[in-house]
Amino acid sequence: MKAGITPENLRKLAERLVNYGKKQGAEEIEVTLYDGLEFDVDIRLGQIENLVEAGSRYCLLRIFKDKKTASASSSDLSLSSLQTLIRNAIKRAELTQPDPYAGLPSPARFKVHENSLKLYDPEISRMKPQEKIKLALKTEKIALKDKRITNSFGASLVTNELRTVLVNSNGFVGEYLQSYCSLSLGLQAGKGDQLVEDYWFSSRRHLKELASPEEVARKAVERTVRQLKPRKIKTQNVPIIFEPTMTSWLLAFLFSCVSGTAVYKKVTFLADRLGQKIGNDLVTIIDDGLLPAKLGSRPFDSEGVPTQRTVVIEKGWLKNYLCNTYAARKLNLTSTGNGNGQGVVPNNFYLEPGPYSPEEIISSTKKGLLLTRVIGHGLNSVTGDISRGAFGLWIENGEIAYPVSEITIAGNLGQILKSIEMVGNDLLFESSICGPTIKVTEMTVAGV
Amino acid sequence: MNRSGQPQFQLSSSDLKKFLQLALSRGGDLADIFLEYKISRSILMEEDIIKESSESITLGLGLRVIKKDQTGYAYTNDLSEEKIKKVAWSAAAVANFPRKIKSNWRLRSLKTKQDVSLAKKEAISIDLTKKLDLVKRTYKSALDFDQAVKKVQVAYGESLQHVWMVNSEGISVKDTRPMVKLVAMVLAEKNGRRESGFFGGGGRVGLEYFYQQLTPEKIGQEAAREACLLLEAVEPPAGELPIVLAPGHSGILIHEAVGHLLEADFIRKKTSIFCNSLGKKVGSEQITIYDDPTIPGYRGSYNFDDEGQPAQKILLMEKGQVKGFIQDLLSARLMKTQVNGHGRRQDFTDWPLPRMSNTYIERGEYAPEEIIHSVKKGLYVSQLSGGQVEDSGKFTFSVSLGYIIENGHLSRPVKQATLIGTNLDILQKVQMVGSDLEFGLQTGTCFKEGQEVPVSDGCPTMKIAKMTVGGTR
Repeated sequence: MKAGITPENLRKLAERLVNYGKKQGAEEIEVTLYDGLEFDVDIRLGQIENLVEAGSRYCLLRIFKDKKTASASSSDLSLSSLQTLIRNAIKRAELTQPDPYAGLPSPARFKVHENSLKLYDPEISRMKPQEKIKLALKTEKIALKDKRITNSFGASLVTNELRTVLVNSNGFVGEYLQSYCSLSLGLQAGKGDQLVEDYWFSSRRHLKELASPEEVARKAVERTVRQLKPRKIKTQNVPIIFEPTMTSWLLAFLFSCVSGTAVYKKVTFLADRLGQKIGNDLVTIIDDGLLPAKLGSRPFDSEGVPTQRTVVIEKGWLKNYLCNTYAARKLNLTSTGNGNGQGVVPNNFYLEPGPYSPEEIISSTKKGLLLTRVIGHGLNSVTGDISRGAFGLWIENGEIAYPVSEITIAGNLGQILKSIEMVGNDLLFESSICGPTIKVTEMTVAGV
Repeated sequence: MNRSGQPQFQLSSSDLKKFLQLALSRGGDLADIFLEYKISRSILMEEDIIKESSESITLGLGLRVIKKDQTGYAYTNDLSEEKIKKVAWSAAAVANFPRKIKSNWRLRSLKTKQDVSLAKKEAISIDLTKKLDLVKRTYKSALDFDQAVKKVQVAYGESLQHVWMVNSEGISVKDTRPMVKLVAMVLAEKNGRRESGFFGGGGRVGLEYFYQQLTPEKIGQEAAREACLLLEAVEPPAGELPIVLAPGHSGILIHEAVGHLLEADFIRKKTSIFCNSLGKKVGSEQITIYDDPTIPGYRGSYNFDDEGQPAQKILLMEKGQVKGFIQDLLSARLMKTQVNGHGRRQDFTDWPLPRMSNTYIERGEYAPEEIIHSVKKGLYVSQLSGGQVEDSGKFTFSVSLGYIIENGHLSRPVKQATLIGTNLDILQKVQMVGSDLEFGLQTGTCFKEGQEVPVSDGCPTMKIAKMTVGGTR
């Protein structure tokens, strides 16, 4: 990575700030420095719409004093500005109240994994801007050849390189370099008040694993035109098939319900359910920070706790909550390496795939809805209730019959976990939360 | 940068002019610079203690080059001359036909007549203990509201953003934008059932707002009241029903279902359903919509937009007829029309987009009671918790609290319903608009293309002939 500052200097700055904080009276201090490079090209209708090239740095810090916490962040990386920020944080901490659970993870937890995670692809910085632009141009061009497509939201190629350096006063010093690239395309079809839209994307850490322009264009076209001429349906209860992107959406909601932060705050219906059977045998959900080259992998979390493979749900049994150090202490558990600032994030959070192809799942369904997109909000982690605007394809006698729109789906995550009938074999790691196609026995679809 | 709040970017007008010249040297039509120094602070109270406080500094420069409809953008948080020159050169790459630039142009400073900020003293310069006191008072009043209240979370946030915007058309604008926000989230529990409530306020005001207009007690109690009320709520009905929207917060429906689709970028790209609608009647006679960034003290207000253009109140729809679009500099240039001060961005790392500010439906002629009485069986929507719309006009809204209307009266409370529809359909189905225009909570944030900007919405009581309601029954 052609960074503006050498990794050594970045680490030295972090160490210097930790020492400064200690000297100023912080009992514990944690400093994270980020140094990133971004390239982003948006193509629309055959020409460049936006072109971004930028480098930026950022500092996050936390200090603890008498079990009191204060945090700060800055994009002004001058030493004097950061030192002021540290002094302010110590002053602020003095005015807040002690929290027995606050503090850095204990040094015993520190163990940085070897660099076998393959988080960085040097090809990304070697690839010329012109080549990146060509990839995006090609993707849109292929899609626009299809006469059913009436407009384009554009194709984008984004690459990022990011170095993270973490130093704390308990002796942790760690750093890693990661990269990211994505190719995406949004399309519109139809006319007048019969417009439909959708998009497709591929995102990876390594360029050579990224889907080809042909593949992204084909999927974007297919997903857009299959919605043309939608019908309305009557309100009814039917089986629902979730496409992988929709399973991911459901899993993102589940993640928010098994996050240790939500559990200790009791704002999730899964609080107090550890060790209980909450889903059926087909439900096994894993969080794994150590899968090579996957988007959610990292050697250690934001607190320096090594990441790991955590079984969250095993054959329907709730085995673990996902915690940072604070949530773990509150719940008398151990951090699972899911820390992110003051919060909890997934590493690679996924539903284990099953034996069925998506086609088999569709053909097993006499009447039902293949859910392709949801819009709006309407998730309540306290109750598990789900109510969202939805788009999909109606299934009759095991075949896709016609698209439906202006519907909502409603149900409850707790119920869904118990009524997953079939799990697909099509798990792809396109994001840090992902799952294969699944079929759920019944949900309410509201139409006219 | 000094700490008293007044930024010295350590750059002069002539420095900035030099960077703009360089940015245009590869053939761009227009270049602009957005310099930002922002301090944001927050306090969080939960589990009976002040749990954390944070301070965040945003310092940086974004430089844009426009060549016809193409945008080159680059940014840096290193404000050295060498780095900014590099940024100018990167952004310039979007136009690759070098040419000579005239250097005999000047930057002229624009000033505002009236400041939309009502802060007597910027909150950021007031002692922390005063803010801790506000947070604790809010917390206590929520907790004391009812025995069913089990958990309370109170968050206070304040920021002060200094901006300096210059462009190659000669505009130079410096502005200072204060903002505060105090919100409470409450979790209530009874008979094994849990529900949550939310309330809050703020805007471009000072701390006095929380002593005079919206007290911490009111914020705590209202959040608790909503959570407790929801404990009694039943599941919503599903299907097509007449809908009455409560005044104030329901304005989000107009923001989502109409406002976004009148943003000029979607119009010129012809992805919006309204792209050929200027001057055409698309909705009921009852509907007149404005977007007004000049309302003093409101969260969506500003003196100049993020392109240095003066803020303007604009008429978007009059009696159902499309009257105007929300413009930024790029879209206005491409559509050969005037800018109207609605180019906004999240921070220096983002280029501006046409965005809303304070969007509202003008008051109508009906008394609110008259509107409710006109419905035999329907849904009264008191709180919408969010919404989303696509360019094709399809939208959804989440109802966090509503009431069933039976024979012209509100009966049982309902929770967690979703409204879905298409905007053209709904606009035509607005049957009655009330005389009681109100604005919703001054806590809203609008997301577009990954950028967040503060906004607010308003509307009077409104009746929609029918909408699809998604419930679980």
